[in-house]
Amino acid sequence: MPNQMTLDQFENILEEIGYITERDDRIALTTFLATELDKPLLVSGPAGVGKTEIAKVLSRVFEAPLIRLQCYEGLDETKALYEWNYQRQLLKIQMGREHLQEEDLFSTEYLLPRPLLQALLSEERTVLLIDEIDKTDSEFEAFLFELLGEFQVTIPEMGTIHAKKRPIVVLTSNGERELSDGLKRRCIFLHVEPPSVKKEVRILRAKIPDLPERLALEVARAVNVLRERLSLNKIPSVSETMDWAKALLVMGKTGLEPAWVDATLTLLLKSQEDVELFYREMGAERLLFESSKVESSKGAQGERHCHGHQQS
Amino acid sequence: MDTNRVSELDRHLVEFAQLLRTVGLKVSPSEISDATEGLRVIGMVDRDKVEAVLQATLVKDYRHIFAFKEAFRAYFASLEQKEAWQKEAEKKATQWNEQIESTHQDLRFQGNELDLTEEERAVYASLPEKDKQRLRDFLEKSSMGSKIGAPVDHLHQPMVERVLRGSLEYWRKKLNEEDEPILAPGSMDGVFSEVDRALHEREVEVLSRDLKKISPEEWPEVIRLIRRLSQRLASQLTRRYRADRRRGGLDMRSTLRKNIRYGGVLVERRYRSRRKGRPRIILLCDISGSMLKYTEFIWQFVYGLSNVVNGIKTFAFGESLIPLTGKLRKGQTFEAMVKEALLVSGKEWGGGTNLAIALDTLQKKFPDTLTKQTLLLIVSDAQTLEGERAATLLGGIRRHLRQVLWLNTLPERRWIETSYVKAFLPSCQMYECFTLDHLTTILSKQF
Repeated sequence: MPNQMTLDQFENILEEIGYITERDDRIALTTFLATELDKPLLVSGPAGVGKTEIAKVLSRVFEAPLIRLQCYEGLDETKALYEWNYQRQLLKIQMGREHLQEEDLFSTEYLLPRPLLQALLSEERTVLLIDEIDKTDSEFEAFLFELLGEFQVTIPEMGTIHAKKRPIVVLTSNGERELSDGLKRRCIFLHVEPPSVKKEVRILRAKIPDLPERLALEVARAVNVLRERLSLNKIPSVSETMDWAKALLVMGKTGLEPAWVDATLTLLLKSQEDVELFYREMGAERLLFESSKVESSKGAQGERHCHGHQQS
Repeated sequence: MDTNRVSELDRHLVEFAQLLRTVGLKVSPSEISDATEGLRVIGMVDRDKVEAVLQATLVKDYRHIFAFKEAFRAYFASLEQKEAWQKEAEKKATQWNEQIESTHQDLRFQGNELDLTEEERAVYASLPEKDKQRLRDFLEKSSMGSKIGAPVDHLHQPMVERVLRGSLEYWRKKLNEEDEPILAPGSMDGVFSEVDRALHEREVEVLSRDLKKISPEEWPEVIRLIRRLSQRLASQLTRRYRADRRRGGLDMRSTLRKNIRYGGVLVERRYRSRRKGRPRIILLCDISGSMLKYTEFIWQFVYGLSNVVNGIKTFAFGESLIPLTGKLRKGQTFEAMVKEALLVSGKEWGGGTNLAIALDTLQKKFPDTLTKQTLLLIVSDAQTLEGERAATLLGGIRRHLRQVLWLNTLPERRWIETSYVKAFLPSCQMYECFTLDHLTTILSKQF
């Protein structure tokens, strides 16, 4: 179902609801394209760069309820698609043994829809988030093909169920496992990298309005240095940057100081190995020195779009 | 949009997709159709947006983004630029063809052309004139007859070919220490040559560089990468052998017991859960002379893996099997550790290789380690003495194990030169593994 909006309008709405994009990250354009082409959007990237957030934002932009399927190892169709209400079927059998037909037991009345089926059966358009698809087994991935390609599912006892309104599907992956070609072929692909300094400053300022600009800039630069200069096991996520900024704000800081970096470092680095690495290879003073050299426009040549003037 | 324009766009997209395929991307017709549809929606006025649409629809793996960007830059370059690349590619190809053609004239035995591969001819073509002359002299003299005056005929040609091949192989290694293939300068297609050149330049990046070429300053980063990869290997190994179905079947006994309270009506069901089998890993690392350059890689891999997997058994092997389990210490180099272990066994570091002895010892002295739960991981270049016996032993051991995985530090194209690789192949899954990219790909493919 095509949107009733142009790319420009889409980008403006994203801005209005506080979702910061840049021309270079191509998030807005790719997301818009997926919704226009009615294709699932496969978002990959390191943890904490805002992949899941995209689905939440789409839900707000299109005012569509968000249905979330959190994937995990061992997830199967009874948790993801449907399950028969066995107890209820049993009760029915007990109640009317004589006049019972098989079809009576396998009707929607006895069906327990799980997230995928909920999205298909919904009368209104929904946003279906299939989070961390790389955590499932490849069998489950193959099982999704029918849903992602044709927006339908086949229940052996009932037949094929088509989507009443095609949901906007967003799949996310941390790249733990290589996804199958079949799945990738059915999707529009977006790779999200950690934000540039400039973008992160904008995110911080949008999410924490009280944050002084100087502190936002220093925090974003420091986090950028941590992400790029150190080979951390886990790079600080955007939400961790926000937590750090909030903590500094609560403590009444207007700029970064080595002592406070030391005191609050664990908000950014969550493993002992990473903390040790930080002190071995950098330390707070050097971090501040290095971050003072980072240009705020680093990695963000493109200002927030002025693209999208024309639709053909 | 008129029909002609559409078909022109389609033609370009199909050509572009072809180019992407040649540089290693998988592009299906349905994706080309998505790209067309995407361009229709977004428009083609802005080059950046066109690139974004094509990337979103044709590239499905972030590791391919660089190749895509290069292909896009080259394919949608200005006409003049493309012509310049085309001329350059044609010039190189012509030069190459002339050189190869001259080898057909030069390398003859009694007027007959010798049976040599393209690469062997390329090695000859790259030699200095004086060395070429020496080879030509050799061919000329041997065409005429032996020193003692015995006549030679065409039956001697295979022998001469073997001698010449040996000599060219020596020159190949001498000319090209890095063991890169000496092959044709690429396609006659200017655009493809340009993309190929850019991708080749990119190879200087750590991920795709041969591990023996990584400088000491870069090792800390590489070490962390290897550790992260081995961590991933460990977590995925444990996952691989978990229950492949959620339920292991109805547990009748437990179900009946549970439902007695409902008068025997089976309201609640109980399922058997499958036991989660954790694989045991045996790591067998080659420490012979030919593997010395990969020492640091092996060590980091061993250390990284033993840090995240409990109960991993590590052995090194050269001319004998050296158990290293329990000897790994933080901060110690692999070399120091092996040398320490070698002091006990009295052997030398960096000597010859005999996998047969290693496997035999493993089987006889450590039979408990070889079970159906065991994953045997061999890191070696497969250059070993008693290769046939080793292959037979490996075949025998394989039957008792879950899996044998062989990370070969020799490029796959060199495997045919290593006589025993073929014999090992039926008993193991062998992968070329001399860059971090290889290691990552193996992990994605295998687990």
